[in-house]
Amino acid sequence: MKELMKPVSGTLDTIRSAFLKHKKLCLLIGVVLSILLPLVFPGGYICGVFCRILFYGTMAGALNVINGYSGQMCLGVAGFFAIGSYTEAILATKFGLSMWVCILLSGIVSMIFGAVLALPTKRLSGIYLAIITLGFSEVIRIVCLNWTGLTGGTMGIKDIPAPTLFGFVFSRPRHYYYIFLVLAIIFLFCTRRVVNSRIGRAWMSIREDELAAKSLGVENGTYKITSFMYGAFWVGAIGAVYAPYVSYIDSTLFTLDTGWNVLAMLIIGGQGTLSGALVGSTVINTLTEALRSFGDWRYVVYALLILVVMWVRPQGIAGASNSILAGEKEQKVKQDAETKEEVC
Amino acid sequence: MQYFISQIVNGLCQGSIYALMAIGYSVIVGVVGFVTFTHGEVIIMGAFAAYYAFEFVGSMNLPLGILAAFVASWLVGIFVYKVCYERFFKAPRHIALICTIAVSILLKNLMQIVFGAARKPMINVIDNKIYTMGPVQISRLQIVIILTVVVLSLLLLFIFKKTRWGVSLRAISQDKSAAALIGINVKRDAMVGNCIGSGLAGVAGLLIAMSYAILYPSMGSTFGMKAFTASVLGGLTSVPLAAVGGMCIGLVENIGITVTSATYRDIFAFVFLIIILLIRPQGFASKKGGRP
Repeated sequence: MKELMKPVSGTLDTIRSAFLKHKKLCLLIGVVLSILLPLVFPGGYICGVFCRILFYGTMAGALNVINGYSGQMCLGVAGFFAIGSYTEAILATKFGLSMWVCILLSGIVSMIFGAVLALPTKRLSGIYLAIITLGFSEVIRIVCLNWTGLTGGTMGIKDIPAPTLFGFVFSRPRHYYYIFLVLAIIFLFCTRRVVNSRIGRAWMSIREDELAAKSLGVENGTYKITSFMYGAFWVGAIGAVYAPYVSYIDSTLFTLDTGWNVLAMLIIGGQGTLSGALVGSTVINTLTEALRSFGDWRYVVYALLILVVMWVRPQGIAGASNSILAGEKEQKVKQDAETKEEVC
Repeated sequence: MQYFISQIVNGLCQGSIYALMAIGYSVIVGVVGFVTFTHGEVIIMGAFAAYYAFEFVGSMNLPLGILAAFVASWLVGIFVYKVCYERFFKAPRHIALICTIAVSILLKNLMQIVFGAARKPMINVIDNKIYTMGPVQISRLQIVIILTVVVLSLLLLFIFKKTRWGVSLRAISQDKSAAALIGINVKRDAMVGNCIGSGLAGVAGLLIAMSYAILYPSMGSTFGMKAFTASVLGGLTSVPLAAVGGMCIGLVENIGITVTSATYRDIFAFVFLIIILLIRPQGFASKKGGRP
């Protein structure tokens, strides 16, 4: 299978290197195109798809900080999403706060939950962390479903007010598109800065080799918590825009399937790359829209796509072929480690 | 007090089902060496196989149902092994993990398409007679469930301790390359281990469907996670301790809902898991097992 798909993989590598060569030009074209898109396609349906691409892409990017850059295994992204959305919905409907303030507040609340989740689990890794974050997401959903006084229980929260800016009311998908776009650009900019700083390098060193990072003076626990907080902040902020965008939220929007969706986008796009999350989100959302007439079968196609990507190109569509996620390299590192263990 | 005692009996019954799931999970993790997210779907697959076997025959034959559940889950086990594990033994560990997630999505949606997403009432195999001994009330269904679990666990213990097959499975779970050196077909026997674990999960699914008297494709994921929780409690690779872990989860859950309301049932397993991982990550086992 791997041999069969080699030409595809090779083409993706060529495209990737071409992009890297003309990075600034590509970025400029991308930004201009994404600003023009809703003007060319003003329809509500198609703008809704663009919105979905953007907010799932940003969410997958935030998850990428946790999973891709610092190498943790967080499956509980739906929980943070729920926290962000519910915070905005409650603050906006009960206290009449404006959405622009709520973006920040939701991010901070979600960040606090991220810290609460990461603090006790900083010693855990791999599958234990995966299952705890999964459990966290389910616990949040069950609490949202049953705490009727605060979250409306099964009724959800209705009539979340649309945001306004200088008298302009954001009411259509194409208006929200620009909010999501601005958030995505800010997110990419910040994340690029953070990843290329001391913190980002510490995250990556934890991903590559936890023990070696520790011996070089990287405080593993602190940096793991930081990555959780950073990722959770952005997921919460996206949730805060999502709540007025759909104007009605209930707990069924934040099931484990939402978490799997985001994770699948990240994996298909490529972990540990900035563009990967957006690429994955574009591919998955376009595909699910194209397959909409097939009903439930689209999830089958979706699962098969993840399997094919894992079989053929484990580093994802946008991932580098010499990435640690691609397989061959880690295998060698691991073998070395095993022989060392035997010597000891 | 009456209510409390009956909740303990319920907890023991439910705990024994969780124990069967956790045994299956521990066999998989021990022999194959990967954790799996497909367990919940395998459980429900077994339940559906038994449901259709009952419908096909038209009689309520429990051994037949168990056989159908076991065989169907065994086949799913082969599929999962071929897709998720076989070529990834030497690759980074997260690849196999993500493959199991993908297969879990695949199986769940295929089941929804093929069997329908609606809730099906499970045929009542055992008539609901209730025996009373002092303050303890226990139904015939609960006795059958507990007996099935005990018999299957003893059978598994016998296979593991006394047969050649079991010895080679245990050898693989200790060291794959050493097992290969003494002439064990590691790839085939790892598949057999995966299938045995899946088969036990399928039988557990039948028991779950019988005790809840209801069946639908998306009920699997919480059970899969409870099985994982129970097997973490038992140290992830130890089969007898996983059974104890399953019992504990069942008891904690049922005692927990006497304190709060039944809507919070699924929370207890997770909270319990978090507390255990914080205090004693290796569970009941004396040392950290497996390769998580």
